[in-house]
Amino acid sequence: MAELSFNLLHTLDPRRDAYGFALRPQHVQRYKEYAKIYKEEEGERSDKWKEFFERLVISDQPCSSDEEYKETLRVEATECKIETVLESEESDDSGGKKSISDGSKERDLEKEVHRSKETKTHEVQTWAQIRPSLGAIEIMMSSRILMSKDMIDEQKTISGDHLPSIEEAKSPGGASEEEFDGDVYVNATSDDNANATGTVTAEVDEVSPKNLFPLKEEVEFLVRGGVPKDLRGEVWQAFVGVKTRRVERYYQNLLAQEANDGEHKDHEDSSGVPKKWKRQIEKDIPRTFPGHPALDDNGRNSLRRLLLAYAQHNPSVGYCQAMNFFAGLLLLLMPEENAFWTLVGIIDDYFGGYYTEEMIESQVDQLVFEELMRERFPKLVNHLDYLGVQVAWISGPWFLSIFVNMLPWESVFRVWDVLLFEGNRVMLFRTALALMELYGPALVTTKDAGDAITLLQSLAGSTFDSSQLVLTACMGFLAVTEARLQELRTKHRPAVLVVVEERSKRGRVWKDSKGLASKLYSFKHDPVSLIEEKKSAEGGDNLELLNSLSVDSELGSLPDLQEQVVWLKVELCRLLEEKRAAVLRAEELETALMEMVKQDNRRELSARVELLEQELAELKQALADKREQETAMLQVLMRVEQEQRVTEDARISAEQDAAAQRYAVHVLQERYEKALASVAEMEKRVVIAESMLEATLQYESGQSKAHASPRSTRNQDTSTRKTGLLSFGLGWRDRNKGKPTDVKESNLSHSPNEGMDPSSSEKETKNEQKET
Amino acid sequence: MGCSSSLPDRSSGQLAGLNSENGGVSDAKNLRVKLVLLGDSGVGKSCIVLRFVRGQFDPTSKVTVGASFLSQTIALQDSTTVKFEIWDTAGQERYAALAPLYYRGAAVAVVVYDITSPESFAKAQYWVKELQKHGNPDIVMALVGNKADLNEKREVPVQDGIDYAEKNGMFFIETSAKTADNINQLFEEIAKRLPRPASS
Ligand SMILES: Nc1nc2c(ncn2[C@@H]2O[C@H](COP(=O)(O)OP(=O)(O)OP(=O)(O)O)[C@@H](O)[C@H]2O)c(=O)[nH]1
Ligand SMILES: [Mg+2]
Repeated sequence: MAELSFNLLHTLDPRRDAYGFALRPQHVQRYKEYAKIYKEEEGERSDKWKEFFERLVISDQPCSSDEEYKETLRVEATECKIETVLESEESDDSGGKKSISDGSKERDLEKEVHRSKETKTHEVQTWAQIRPSLGAIEIMMSSRILMSKDMIDEQKTISGDHLPSIEEAKSPGGASEEEFDGDVYVNATSDDNANATGTVTAEVDEVSPKNLFPLKEEVEFLVRGGVPKDLRGEVWQAFVGVKTRRVERYYQNLLAQEANDGEHKDHEDSSGVPKKWKRQIEKDIPRTFPGHPALDDNGRNSLRRLLLAYAQHNPSVGYCQAMNFFAGLLLLLMPEENAFWTLVGIIDDYFGGYYTEEMIESQVDQLVFEELMRERFPKLVNHLDYLGVQVAWISGPWFLSIFVNMLPWESVFRVWDVLLFEGNRVMLFRTALALMELYGPALVTTKDAGDAITLLQSLAGSTFDSSQLVLTACMGFLAVTEARLQELRTKHRPAVLVVVEERSKRGRVWKDSKGLASKLYSFKHDPVSLIEEKKSAEGGDNLELLNSLSVDSELGSLPDLQEQVVWLKVELCRLLEEKRAAVLRAEELETALMEMVKQDNRRELSARVELLEQELAELKQALADKREQETAMLQVLMRVEQEQRVTEDARISAEQDAAAQRYAVHVLQERYEKALASVAEMEKRVVIAESMLEATLQYESGQSKAHASPRSTRNQDTSTRKTGLLSFGLGWRDRNKGKPTDVKESNLSHSPNEGMDPSSSEKETKNEQKET
Repeated sequence: MGCSSSLPDRSSGQLAGLNSENGGVSDAKNLRVKLVLLGDSGVGKSCIVLRFVRGQFDPTSKVTVGASFLSQTIALQDSTTVKFEIWDTAGQERYAALAPLYYRGAAVAVVVYDITSPESFAKAQYWVKELQKHGNPDIVMALVGNKADLNEKREVPVQDGIDYAEKNGMFFIETSAKTADNINQLFEEIAKRLPRPASS
């Protein structure tokens, strides 16, 4: 339905692009220029894909050819009358439900809608199968789903696992190889077809005896060049594996359930979509592509049904802002139920853990991206650090929206083409890196945080050269593979989990005073004197820690011990992180101090020293707190052990766990000692710094006697100090100066002489980052 | 996002988000201020920013995903200028997990509610508490009751806003992004309350 309207309308409104989306006023002109290029590209694309399908039909010769398919369809399509599930919607919906073919131009690969007898008898509201010529792609992609279901079964316990990308599942070559060895994906891959992992090949073999890998490569090439507009909806479905995912009548049942719930609104405990999501969906529907011609009342009803059905389908996600845009986008390209299954594939698989209540994976990805940025663009990141800009401020929204509203639509579609094809989030990273590569040279010329962010946002928003973007992304960052990303995610996830854990703890304390009371109560059964300590340490970290521990020990059974061990591990991670941060900070301070001495600025110096001392005190305090926590932990551990003696049957395994804990505590202690040592080290440094300061002061007092006007030159002083810092930083970066790259945006008057070298190696990065 | 533990907090040593360190022109006459907007979804945060920066009201604004950035400079009567670097955040509850990324190091927080929605007022109080616990200690906070043009549908009395703001040492104002009422005043008042770098 959507396509119908936008095909008719897009030519009429110059303020909208070929997809019916509003153009920003400042982009109308650029868009016009690029519209010609898009058209040319689209023509080439259609030819290539057409030729590809022709070859496919000849070599593959499936039982039903496209021609036959069309024949039968024409008959069916004209006869077909669709009955709606939701009768209330029926009246004004019929126009919209006419098959897409009504509106589509007679292209070589024309749009045909399949409404088979089967779907008709089941009263499917809007569901269309994709053309058979895409079957081969569909089968290839479906094998990925089967494979991943397999994987999920195998590693049910592991959270946050992702689809294995076909990329990894097949390509043994490539620059990335030495970066991951012995990885699952690689193992499954290297042999071309003979003995990859049993189940996987079995599945593939079942559907098609042919080796699909050459096909995959060819499709990959085509996809990077872009999917033809008219095919996009169906090709995306093939990529996501909609046919394999689809469960007959599932969508209708979700809708019916939802409609039922609507009737009994007063039931609070109804199984339907929770109110908060419904309300949010209602708030967001009018704010989804406002004014888009296809999103009229019918379109919005579709959008609402789709989002409600999804929320019902996956309560761990429910509804998250951003999904409204995805659903809206999909509805522009395909019938409603197809859009539903595509959305399911994207949110459940491609972006598993991304849009859930805690948004853990999305936070993990930001840390991963920052690391990749530091590795790839050390100079740029240094500059952003210097300006006080965090990469995640900008990349966060990019990732969460999958670039929707962040790039021109042509580019969004091209990125989605590749992303959906690859079946993972590699393209997300590669695109973001490509944007940094394209615009980094302009960014390093900015002078303050606001300018940098504004510039990057506006440059990204005018990335009309979608082919350049996609090619840069796909060819420039081959080393960014799913395997590498997984490795980095595993590395960064604990840090996110700690923060999430703390947040939820905080939430518990705030929201749930009853819960707190019961926790306190549980302590009264306890002979240990923890209560006093707890009361005295009111409000502090300690309290929270004890609370959580007390809850754990309340149950006093085995799983708790495991939980505690996990918790201790997490705690250990955090401590390590803190120590690392402290060391880094110490180094930073030292550098800064040296810089200050150089600049000979008395006031700054004493302020800095004061700060230093303050920070040192804070650090000491933190360490003392940690030690307190540790004793608390130990006491709880002892208590747990007592309980162990009482519970005979649980004893053996409990002892094992306790040993593990003791070991963890031991490790913790060791870490504390190390941290203490490093603090001592820092203290030494401060002493040195102080003596340096004293020397400087003496020197200065001598100086100031000589020249007696420090006040009047103060402003100048600070500015030279700043440039001094700047040149210090820049000089430092210049050592790794790469070949300059041109900025495409010529409207930026600066000629960037600090080029970004995309191939700068990891070794350099390590130097730059002052890794510990 | 939400966890910078892998890096030392860069802003810790700085003057409350007044980015005097980072090379920009930020002296007593030309301030640069990081400002963050927080509040329930749909209260009109994005509309307020758009009204302030572009002078427009779009009744069909877009949902904010993650956060979005705009900046605007205003001149005060004493011939100082203030450049606001504004982060407009997403309002849905779960996005609160990402909020620290944006409010950390901010000099100003504008907490917005919708005067027709008591629920959004409760949410505003949540944000105030969160900022008091985890925000910059000398952060300047403003409480804003938006959609003042919908007075006939009002459900949060003005006095409630005033009282709560007073109790928490905040600046309070009711605005309408739709009619532009009090929008500029909001930012001007904030500008006046900023701590100035010593100009000795
Ligand atoms: N009558 C009236 N309506 C307003 C006003 N400000 C915003 N709105 C309406 O409220 C809707 C939501 O405003 P937004 O600015 O998008 O809300 P938001 O706080 O940014 O919401 P999120 O991005 O979801 O966090 C808009 O579509 C406007 O129609 C106002 O001052 N008066
Ligand atoms: Mg918004």
